[in-house]
Amino acid sequence: MNSGIDLQEIFIESLMDLGIPPGAAKAIWMPLPMFLMIIGATVGVLVTVWLERKISAAAQQRIGPEYMGPFGVLAPVADGMKLVFKEDILPAQSDRLLFTLGPVLVVIPVFLSYLIVPFGQNLVITDIGTGIFLWVALSSIAPIGLLMAGYSSNNKYSLLGGLRAAAQSISYEIPLSLSVLAIVMMSNSLSTIDIVQQQSGYGILGWNIWRQPFGLIVFWICALAECERLPFDLPEAEEEIVAGYQTEYSGMKFALFYLSSYVNLVLSALLFSVLYLGGWNFPIPIDLLASLLGVSETDPWLQIITASLGIIMTILKAYFLVFLAVLLRWTVPRVRIDQLLDLGWKFLLPVSLANLLLTAALKLVFPFAFGG
Amino acid sequence: MDLAQGVQIVSFALLSLMMIAAALGVVLLTNIVYSAFLLGGVFISIAGLYILLNADFVAAAQVLIYVGAVNVLILFAIMLVNKREDFTPLSSAGLRKGATALVCAGLFVLLSTMVLATPWSASTASVPTTESSIVRIGQHFFTDFLLPFELASVLLLIAMVGAIILARREYLPEVLQTPNVQQQVLTLPERPRELVPAVSDSSTLTSTPGDRNK
Amino acid sequence: MLKFLKQVGDYAKEAVQAGKYIGQGLSVTFDHMRRRPITVQYPYEKLIPSERFRGRIHFEFDKCISCEVCVRVCPINLPVVDWEFNKETKKKQLKHYSIDFGVCIFCGNCVEFCPTNCLSMTEEYELSTYERHELNYDNVALGRLPYKVTNDPMVTPLRELVYLPKGVMDPHGVPDTARRVGQLPEEILEKSEK
Repeated sequence: MNSGIDLQEIFIESLMDLGIPPGAAKAIWMPLPMFLMIIGATVGVLVTVWLERKISAAAQQRIGPEYMGPFGVLAPVADGMKLVFKEDILPAQSDRLLFTLGPVLVVIPVFLSYLIVPFGQNLVITDIGTGIFLWVALSSIAPIGLLMAGYSSNNKYSLLGGLRAAAQSISYEIPLSLSVLAIVMMSNSLSTIDIVQQQSGYGILGWNIWRQPFGLIVFWICALAECERLPFDLPEAEEEIVAGYQTEYSGMKFALFYLSSYVNLVLSALLFSVLYLGGWNFPIPIDLLASLLGVSETDPWLQIITASLGIIMTILKAYFLVFLAVLLRWTVPRVRIDQLLDLGWKFLLPVSLANLLLTAALKLVFPFAFGG
Repeated sequence: MDLAQGVQIVSFALLSLMMIAAALGVVLLTNIVYSAFLLGGVFISIAGLYILLNADFVAAAQVLIYVGAVNVLILFAIMLVNKREDFTPLSSAGLRKGATALVCAGLFVLLSTMVLATPWSASTASVPTTESSIVRIGQHFFTDFLLPFELASVLLLIAMVGAIILARREYLPEVLQTPNVQQQVLTLPERPRELVPAVSDSSTLTSTPGDRNK
Repeated sequence: MLKFLKQVGDYAKEAVQAGKYIGQGLSVTFDHMRRRPITVQYPYEKLIPSERFRGRIHFEFDKCISCEVCVRVCPINLPVVDWEFNKETKKKQLKHYSIDFGVCIFCGNCVEFCPTNCLSMTEEYELSTYERHELNYDNVALGRLPYKVTNDPMVTPLRELVYLPKGVMDPHGVPDTARRVGQLPEEILEKSEK
């Protein structure tokens, strides 16, 4: 199996040729992918916000943003600029320190989770052994930030919203991690690279979507609940609790919440595509196409095309899921808090447990198809 | 000392400082909510120390379980209890303080003997980094640590069954329930409100709803 | 055991049904995406108000006989009629007349009952102001004629749905000469007279 281009190695080697010691070369390299990923995630959020507004408009027979740039693509930029220049209001009697710390604590783990999102064999910030488990662990920090924001706002709506967010987040984390566990059991590794690697080889037929139909549904429902997307947006339910924990926030602090919710949505979509839709794999295996066309595997052009196609495929799959999430937003009405907890504990948890058991059994019976 | 080692030492110092400061804050701060949030800080710094020890899975599990579950539950409990109580020193504090000091000193002595007795140099000699830590943890769980592992899961199961029985009221004996219902019919679980002292003389005549809770 | 299995089966059936309903809903939402937007780009495009539109009220000062019927039929006695009895002509002479459109509900009762037809409904609906007292129109303001949407060179006038030709749902690009669906009022009148 060809591993594709390794940008890190090339970069470090070229720096070492210039006479820079290897340690320093590595230190120069390290911030680059992180910076790129943060920029990428932020741009991804802008695109998602634009898509959300356009798709929502289309679903409601409207046009949506139109005059801000071509097709209104600059609308999210304008939103962001407005939020940057807005006054930062601190409510009276609020807890100044916690009020500032809350949005920060929500944003950081979401961005940190991008560490493990792979766009290609070597196009990932770090391929750590904990991999997908790191995402599950990091996403459990956010409720603390939400509780902090809710508590420090000195507002009953905020506190209720924060408590709801925390309750929702911890109860949907369990089925989420169980459905991830079923995948991990098949690929024998927590690393996202290995998970995609295990799905490659047979094109679209090898993707986990065929092996994990129940896990896929459970994962998607839980991911929506973790992102507080519409069927599960109780923490921000306008009609009941104004805007939940965001009620008292304005300006840049609100922007952080807004950003984190969309970054989280894109992250969930990316990880869904990694876990179930074969990550960077093209529906038809590229090796097969290359051998049909008679191109050598080590051809540099093929490698570049493979890498860029991998990035495009990952992003395309993720945005397809974002599209699905937006469509679901305008289809499914919001659930009540008791229905939410019922769904989480009485439906998703047993289903994901049964799915896990089934996967284990199938792995024992058909080791060739379910990762022996 | 190369770059990696320097980063390690600096981050170790930072993490230990953060952990000790946060732990002191948990104990010394009077506002219980701050203590709870700082507890999260302590857990996160411990996770950082685990990462420095190459135990990435344990670190992630630490974050997931202690920060994500335990600390959130503690915060939940604090925020759902609508009671702000100021700290009042107890009258018979002497004995309690003595007992606490004894226990703490005992723990300290125990831990320091453990620190002194453990042969630390052995572990730094050769750590097999090739094998993933998850695989080794799994092997240990199902071979030499099987009994503690199973006992812990049985304990958790017992706790879960207990929680379910407490939550489902029909399993509780009837005797406990009936007197409670009659008492608490008219009281609201709210903090008693202070009367506005504007009309201090005639306040006996006008009774606000807050009076009943006092 | 059998009862439990039956429960599980029922639950699974319900879940499948719920999934089916969500799928139906998704297909409806998806179907909406291919429909044309019904948006009217307001300051650049405006709908032509219908013939029976009840907009801002127009008042003709010279026709008014100060009978105050409009005040009596108004649900809240809104019109203010300020008149003086002229001893020489033995007639009421109107001095001021005003209607506060911040309070008016545009029910059209005054227009309906005015004996001299000095009140009429216009098609003007852009009444927004920076202060609510500006909505209190006196007889001069009430006497101004509204600007027609079709005469405004800055605006693309769009017909409302009922005024479009048969089968056309989209007002964009419908020519002026295209006849609307159904009979015109004068045709109905002609038929009833026969």
